[in-house]
Amino acid sequence: MTTIQIDHASRWFRNVVAVNDITMTIGPGVTGLLGPNGAGKSTLIALMSGFLAPSAGTVTLDGEPLWRNEKVYRKIGLVPEREALFDYLTGRQFVVANAELHGLPDPGAAAQRALALIEMTDAQDRTISTYSKGMKQRVKMASALVHDPAVLLLDEPFNGMDPRQRIHLMELLRGMGAEGRTVLFSSHILEEVEQVARQIEVVVAGRHAASGDFGAIRRLMTDRPNRFVLRTSDDRALASALLADASVRGARLRSEGGIELEASDFGRFSEVLPRLAREHGIRLHEVTPTDESLESVFAYLVSA
Amino acid sequence: MSSPSDVEPTGVIHDLGYRPYGGPRLGERAVAWAFFKTGLRNTYGLGRSGRSKVLPMGLLGLILLPALILVGVLVQARNILGLDQQIVAYSTYPLTTQLLISVFVASQAPALISRDLRFRTITLYLARPMRRTTYVLVRLASLGVATFLLIGAPLLLLYVGGLLADLPIGRETGRFLGAVVGTVLLAACLSGLAALVAALTVRRGLAVAGVIVVLLVSYTVVATIQGISYEAGSPTVGEVAGLFSPYTLTNGVQVFLFDSPAATRTPPSSDGMGLVYVAATLLTVLGAAGALLARYRTVHP
Amino acid sequence: MISRTIVRLGVRSVFGRWRGVLLLVLPLVLVAVAVLVRALVGEEPLAAQNTLEALGLVVIVPLVALLATSGLLAPEIDDGSVSYLLAKPISRYTIVLSKLVVAAVCVVLFAAVPLLVAGLVMLTSSPSLGVGFAVGSVAGGLAYCAVFALFSVMTRHAVVVGLVYLLIWEGLLGGLLDGVRWLSITRWSEAIIGELADVALVEDLPLLYAVIATVVVLVAGTWLTGRRLRAFNLTGDE
Repeated sequence: MTTIQIDHASRWFRNVVAVNDITMTIGPGVTGLLGPNGAGKSTLIALMSGFLAPSAGTVTLDGEPLWRNEKVYRKIGLVPEREALFDYLTGRQFVVANAELHGLPDPGAAAQRALALIEMTDAQDRTISTYSKGMKQRVKMASALVHDPAVLLLDEPFNGMDPRQRIHLMELLRGMGAEGRTVLFSSHILEEVEQVARQIEVVVAGRHAASGDFGAIRRLMTDRPNRFVLRTSDDRALASALLADASVRGARLRSEGGIELEASDFGRFSEVLPRLAREHGIRLHEVTPTDESLESVFAYLVSA
Repeated sequence: MSSPSDVEPTGVIHDLGYRPYGGPRLGERAVAWAFFKTGLRNTYGLGRSGRSKVLPMGLLGLILLPALILVGVLVQARNILGLDQQIVAYSTYPLTTQLLISVFVASQAPALISRDLRFRTITLYLARPMRRTTYVLVRLASLGVATFLLIGAPLLLLYVGGLLADLPIGRETGRFLGAVVGTVLLAACLSGLAALVAALTVRRGLAVAGVIVVLLVSYTVVATIQGISYEAGSPTVGEVAGLFSPYTLTNGVQVFLFDSPAATRTPPSSDGMGLVYVAATLLTVLGAAGALLARYRTVHP
Repeated sequence: MISRTIVRLGVRSVFGRWRGVLLLVLPLVLVAVAVLVRALVGEEPLAAQNTLEALGLVVIVPLVALLATSGLLAPEIDDGSVSYLLAKPISRYTIVLSKLVVAAVCVVLFAAVPLLVAGLVMLTSSPSLGVGFAVGSVAGGLAYCAVFALFSVMTRHAVVVGLVYLLIWEGLLGGLLDGVRWLSITRWSEAIIGELADVALVEDLPLLYAVIATVVVLVAGTWLTGRRLRAFNLTGDE
């Protein structure tokens, strides 16, 4: 039972605040760190892996600080985002080297176990420079698992993976979580997080925007109304036609032209709008969603 | 998101009024010229971050400083000291300040050449109207002109100072022009060699070290051999050795062609040797450029 | 205090293509010049001394140290693969010392031994010159390695900074201003060599001071590098 405790941690680089007063607890099981690009996910993982010191607040693992504390790496396995590896080694040599650096009593056996777990045993004797991106990612995972850590931190592990590799990695992470390890991975894609993590932490612009069960947050997001701005050839006629449909919550005619629309069921609305426009012979000049991006979704969460 | 269940899926491509650029397109020559200008500016840090200006501008300042002092002494104390020519000859000055020149070339060649190869931005350049050979030659030209400016600036300063000190115009101009030719050759040799090393050792730190190894070690070896062969009374060995460092090579060419004062112990003493020096210079410049083109032929976009 | 794994990894990374070529070329050039000098003037003590000093000690020793040390630390820091060494429960000083061991071996193999050989080639009758230069070059080379290691963890432009330090501090100013000898690694080596080979390469620099100064730079450089690695920032993106 290993927990990472982040307590009012902030980190700034000159006048850019990357992490802004975040408090969260990462416990056993799989946790997804979710947020748009530039939200501070990598910075947060660097804080949790002892590669960055918080400018304020504390980051601890079972009460021990992570900064300037080499011993804590016995418990942590890190899969960094950057692709660079020791290209001139073979996969096996790399994992064995990692095992040796951990001071394991039988590095060769531990390396074999780790390589078997991520299914790289047939490619283990080729040099890493010949590996594809997915294979390099798996070797990185093996090097992080070789010492059987209680905590696993993965920075954007699904980046650049093809669907089959993604499924495999998801199964692996689920298995790790089920064993009671503390697994944290970061992503900016909702669907990836959805299939693996039950618990998610949402980070937007360095702030902790939401946390908790994935299903509950998802429902919050679909319950919110979608806002659009439409410019058409006949605003009033289209607005009155749209208001007749159940998926539209409200419509307002703007003084400068155009309709401000609130729709609650995006799926239905996206089919209704073009159909109604065609039926009434109205040309749509512009349909702009005003809160489509993930960021505005999270901003909505923050303000709610 | 729930999918619509009562509409059959159709597809349509909307005409959003996208128009491709239909205006005039400048040809490869304009592209090459713009590329050359950008490369030249980048070697002095212009158009790049503030930190990249420190080293080249610092080196430029450092190489002008002794020239400034020499000019000051010449103008002020000319009559007192009875000087009737430059304290440090035009052809000698680059050899005296060669460390600064070598550091400049060693640090800027990787910035121009290695970066594109390391981070594969070369594929972007090759996808444009500029041909591969044009890319290589323009990069080489940018580095060469930048080096020429570095080596030539203090010489210009010395020349102007000499005119201010009332040195004979005709003689000074002749010497200065000879030195300009020498500077052109030196800049071409240095930039050719540096670009070649930078293109082969793609990592920036290694490229810098490689260029310095080539330039510094070659000069030290040549100077050592020349000194010893001079003392031993067999200057021919020293003359041959002088072919193997761009600094001594171009100095020897200047001695041969323009009768400039020699900066080495064993300058070419015979016409035959002088011609060998000229040939070696041309071989260095063309050979480096050819090797560079050959190296880039194996780069796959 | 030394990790065999890191030493093994270090050996592999130092001899990557071009770096290995440059490291081999330097001693070969030195020995070739020594042979040429011997052919030109026979056994001439002054020529031998000048060659060993001007080419060997001033140029080749620092360049070997720079090539070796920067090849061990800078590329891994640059592309982030150093995180695999740092995310382990081993002392940072162990990491630094292990890498410096590889650098030290490079200095011995590619600078000290060639200097010994060159000295013996040029002055076979009095081997103390070659021996003196070899020992002095080890001292100076190790001190340089510690300094360049520190540069490698402090800046991304370690090679350029190292070169500027070499060429301007040790080279230009060292040649012009005499007072620099108190703070110049090359001058300290020359004092050591002067004592061992009974030659006078540098004036008025006590041997004891030179030895202590070299050791201080070596220890302080290593310790500061380790300290810097303990507090090493490695974020996910560039």
